[in-house]
Amino acid sequence: MNFILNLLNIPSSEYNDWEIRLTSGLSYVTWIILAYLFIGALFCFWSGLSRIRSPRKKFLIFGLRVIVFLLVAALLFQPELELKKTRELKNTVAVLLDNSKSMSIKTFPEEITRATILTRAFEENSQYFEELRKNFRLEIYYSSNQLEPVSLSDVTRLYKPNGIRTDFKNVFNELKKRHDGKSLKGILLFSDGGDLEEGFNEISPTMKEIVDSLEAPIYSLQTGSNDSFKDLSVSRLDAPDFGFLYQPIKVEAVIDAFAIGNKNIPVTLKEGNKILVSKNLEIREGKTRYRVQLEFIPNTLGVNVYKISVPLISGESIVSNNIKEFRIKTVKDRMRILHLTGRPGWDSRFLREVLINNPKVDLLSFFILRSLSDDVAASTSELSLIPFPSNLLFSDYLASFDLVIFQNFKFSPFIEKKFLENISSYVHNGGSFLMIGGELSFQGGGYERTPVEKVLPVKIRDRMELFSEAEFNAKVEERYWRHPILRLEKNEKQNQAAWDSLPKLNGLNAGLKAVSGAQVLIHDGFSKTKGSSPVFSILKFGKGKSMAMATDSSWNWNFLKIGEGGSGRYYQTFWNNVVAWVAGGPETQTLLIETDRERYAEKEKVLMKIKTLGEDFNPFKKADIEIVIRSISKKGEILRKRLTTDKNGEANFEFLPKGEGFFSAKVEWKRESETLNSETRFGVFSDNAEFEKPKINNLLLETFAKISGGEHRVLKENSNLKDIAFSASKVREKTGSATFGLWDNWFSFGLIVGLLSLDWLLRRRSGLS
Amino acid sequence: MLPKIKKFYSYSLVFLILIAIIVPSTTWAIGDSSKFRIPQILYQGGNSKPRPEAIVSLLAQLAKRTSVNVKRQEIDLKISDPSLFRHPLIYLAGDSGFKPFPKKEIKILRNYLNFGGFLLIDDNSAKANSDFDKSVRNLISELFPRSPIRKIPRDHSIFRSFYLINRVAGRAEIQPYLEGVSIKGRTVLVYSSNDLGGAWSRNKLGYWNYDMVGGGKTQRDLSIRLGVNITLYALTLDYKKDMVHLPIILERLRRYNSP
Repeated sequence: MNFILNLLNIPSSEYNDWEIRLTSGLSYVTWIILAYLFIGALFCFWSGLSRIRSPRKKFLIFGLRVIVFLLVAALLFQPELELKKTRELKNTVAVLLDNSKSMSIKTFPEEITRATILTRAFEENSQYFEELRKNFRLEIYYSSNQLEPVSLSDVTRLYKPNGIRTDFKNVFNELKKRHDGKSLKGILLFSDGGDLEEGFNEISPTMKEIVDSLEAPIYSLQTGSNDSFKDLSVSRLDAPDFGFLYQPIKVEAVIDAFAIGNKNIPVTLKEGNKILVSKNLEIREGKTRYRVQLEFIPNTLGVNVYKISVPLISGESIVSNNIKEFRIKTVKDRMRILHLTGRPGWDSRFLREVLINNPKVDLLSFFILRSLSDDVAASTSELSLIPFPSNLLFSDYLASFDLVIFQNFKFSPFIEKKFLENISSYVHNGGSFLMIGGELSFQGGGYERTPVEKVLPVKIRDRMELFSEAEFNAKVEERYWRHPILRLEKNEKQNQAAWDSLPKLNGLNAGLKAVSGAQVLIHDGFSKTKGSSPVFSILKFGKGKSMAMATDSSWNWNFLKIGEGGSGRYYQTFWNNVVAWVAGGPETQTLLIETDRERYAEKEKVLMKIKTLGEDFNPFKKADIEIVIRSISKKGEILRKRLTTDKNGEANFEFLPKGEGFFSAKVEWKRESETLNSETRFGVFSDNAEFEKPKINNLLLETFAKISGGEHRVLKENSNLKDIAFSASKVREKTGSATFGLWDNWFSFGLIVGLLSLDWLLRRRSGLS
Repeated sequence: MLPKIKKFYSYSLVFLILIAIIVPSTTWAIGDSSKFRIPQILYQGGNSKPRPEAIVSLLAQLAKRTSVNVKRQEIDLKISDPSLFRHPLIYLAGDSGFKPFPKKEIKILRNYLNFGGFLLIDDNSAKANSDFDKSVRNLISELFPRSPIRKIPRDHSIFRSFYLINRVAGRAEIQPYLEGVSIKGRTVLVYSSNDLGGAWSRNKLGYWNYDMVGGGKTQRDLSIRLGVNITLYALTLDYKKDMVHLPIILERLRRYNSP
C-alpha cells in the first residue's frame, strides 16, 4: 500500500486501502467475439511462423504477440486503481418495542398492563442493553404500524401505548429498508403479537417471506399472557348520522363479553348526564357477542353527543372500551307553515302549489271560501266548509308553526283582535310572519295600528292609498344582489339576468314605507319620478323574522313566464328561498364557521373556515371575531382566540386536538349593535380496532422466532436477557476514495507500440515480411 | 227652493268630478287585473259561443255564493292570444263539430295545461255522441296522446271543493259523470257533456235563458253548484283533501249520502 502511495506521491494518512477495478462497459457478447477473434488471430499467426526453424525464436515472436494481444485486451478492460479510506463499523441490533394500544390491556394474575411488563423488563435489563450498545450499533424503536426511533435513555420515560394498531409487515419492511446493505445481526421484539391481520392458528405466507428477508434472528419477548383474560366492552355501534326532531332514532350496540360469567348488566344510553334509555342484557357463559337495540326520541335541534355504556366489572383487562360516544345531527323533519288566504285567487293557488311541493314543508292551509255576506244557497251540511279554528291556531298551536302566512287576508271577523298580540309575541320569540298583498292586506285588512303592523317590515304611510294598478318591473335593490332570498341563479351575472327576465307585475299595495331596520330587497322601480315603493321587504323582529310582499301578482313570474316561453323555475326558487331563509340554513347566515370535515382521526388537524357577511350578504372585511373551542366530552374550554377576517370576510383557523372526543367550535362577532354566534361540532376518533382482538397472539411471536432462527420467551418478573447474544463480526464502511486510470496513459500505449516494433524487427530478421 | 237644490246638486257634481280628476291613480278597490275572470275560447268552425251569457252568469253566482272577487266581464280569446296566460282557467264550449286546432295552438294549449292552466269544456248540444263531442275527443287525444280522458271519480276534490256534490248535473243529463285529464296528480281538463252553460245562463233581467231538460230548479241549482266547485277546484286544487278538512267532510258526506 505504502509503495503505491509513494509512487503516486500521496501522504500515507489519506488512504488505508486499495482496489483495482475494471470499468469497461462492454457486454459479455462483445467479449466473447473479441476472445474468438484473438484466438483466431493467434492461430493464424502461429501458422505464419512455420518457416522459422529455431524454436527459441519462434516462441519469442509468438510470446511477444501474445503479450501485445493481452495488453490490448487489458486496455479494453479499462482498469482503474481505487485508493480508499475505510473505517470499521459495529454490527446492528434492533430493539422493537410494541407501543400499540393493546399494550394497555391488563394481564392476570399480576393485574398489570402489558406496557408495564415491557417497561419493567427493559429497566431490569438496563445493564444488558448498555453492554449491547458498547458492542453493537443499538437501534431502538417504538413500533406499532410504523417505526419511531427512541434513545436508550428515553425508552421507559417516553413509552406510551398509544400506537393506532400493530402492523408487523409494515414494521419489518421499514426495518429492512433502513438496514439494506448493512449488517443487522438480530432483533429483540417486545410485543403481545396483536397484529389484527394475523390469525391465532397460523402465520400468513407474506409475513413469512418478510421475516425471511430480514436475514436476522428475531428474539420475540412476549409481554403478558392470556391467563384469566376478562373483558366487557361496547365494541361497535350502528347509529345514523342524523335524525329528526321528536322522531324515534334506533341505535344498535354490539357488546362483547369475555370470562364475565353469568350476569345481567344494564346497557345505558345517555345524553350528557341524562339517561335516555337503559336495557337489561343477560350475559351467559359460552356466548361472547350480543346485539342490543336502543331507541330514543331527540328533543333538541343540532349536533348532539350521546354515549352508550356498560358497567365496569372488577378485574377487567380493558377499562376504556366500556363506553362509546357518538353524535347525531338532529334536524326538523319539515317546516310547519300556516297559510291563511282571505279569498281564493291565482296568487294563492300558485304559492300553495310551490309550498305543497316543497318536501321540507308541512303545510296547513285555510282558504276563506265564503264571507258572512255570501249567500251559499245551501245548508251547512251540503257544504264542505269547516269552521275556521282561530282560537286553537292563534293561542295553543301558534308556536308550533315556523312560518305564518297571511295572504290577502283580513283578520276580521275570523281572528279576534286580541290574538293579533299573540302573533307579535310569536315573531318576537322566534317565529316568522309573512304578509302577502291583495286588497285584504295591509290597510285593506285593517292592520293599521295593530300589533301585526308593529311586526311588519313596512308601516302604513298612507291609509287612503290602497292599491296601485300600474304595471311595473320588480327591481332588486343593488346592495342585496347576494341576499339568499334573491338568489335565483348561483352565478351573480346569471342571477341578475334571471331577475331582468321576469315578467312585469301588475298591482301593488301602495301607501307603504319600510320601517327602520327593514331591508327592502325588491322595490317597484319608480324611484326617479315619485319615489319607489317596497315590494318585498324583510325585518328581523326580536328573535324572529317578518316579511312583506306588497303585491298579489307574483304568480306572473310563474304562469306568464311560461306563456312567454320560459318556465316557472325562478318563481318556485324565489318562494323556496323565502322558506329556506325562514328555516335559517347555513346559506342564510351572516356569520358561519365550518370545519372541513365532521370526523377526524387522532393527531389530525382540524381546519376551520369562518365567514363574516354584512346584513346585505356582501363580505364584511376586517371583522374582529372570537373563537372558543370546547370539549363536549370533557366539558371544558380548551382554547379562546381573537381573529380578524380578511378582505373577503374570511378567516382560517387550525386546531390540533390532543385526544379523542367531541368538540364544539363557537365563533362570536359583535356587528354594530347585535352579537352574532355560529357554532359547529366535530368528533375526533381514535382507532380502537386493537381491542377487537385483545388476546395475546403467542403463536405469531413463536413463529417469528422459529423461522428467523431466534428464540421466543414469555416475559415475567426478573426475566434475564443476558444469554441472548449476537454475532459480532466487523464490517468496514468506505468514507473517502480516489481513482486512477491504469490504461489511458502514454506508458500503456508506448509499451504496446514498443513490443509490436520488436515483434516486427524479429520477424524481418527471420525472413518474414 | 228648487233652483237652490238644483244649484247645490250642480256644485256637488262638479266637486265630485274634480276629485275624480285629482286622484285618478288612487283606487279603493283592488286592481281589475287581480279580479277573477273566465275567458271563453274562440275556435275555427262550429259555434264557439252557443251560450253567450253562461260565463258572466257563473261569475255572478260565484260572486254571490263565495268570497272569490270576480269581474263580470265577457272575455273571448283565441288560444294564440298573448294574454291567454293571464287567465289560468278557460272555458271552451260549443254545440257542433269544430275544425281541428292548428298544431301551433295545440302546442300552446298543451303547455298551458301542463304548467298550471285549467280548461273546462262544455258540450252545449244536449245530445249524446254529438259532433262537438267527437271534435272534443279528437282535440284531447291530440293534446294528451299518453293521458287519455277518464271519468272523474266521486271522491275527487271537484265534488267537495265548496259544495258536497253527489250528482253530476247540467241542463240536460246526458252523462251522469264528468270526464277529465290529470297530469302529475292535478286535473288539468274537465269535460261535461251536460250543457252546464245552458243551466247557468241568465239574461240581464234575471231570467233563465234556457229551460232544463227533464229536471227543474234542483237540477239547475246542482248545475250551478258544480260550476262553482269546478271553479274553486281550479283556484284551490286539492285543498279540501288536506287532513284538517277530512274528518268533517267525511262525516257530512256520510250523513248527506245516508237516506
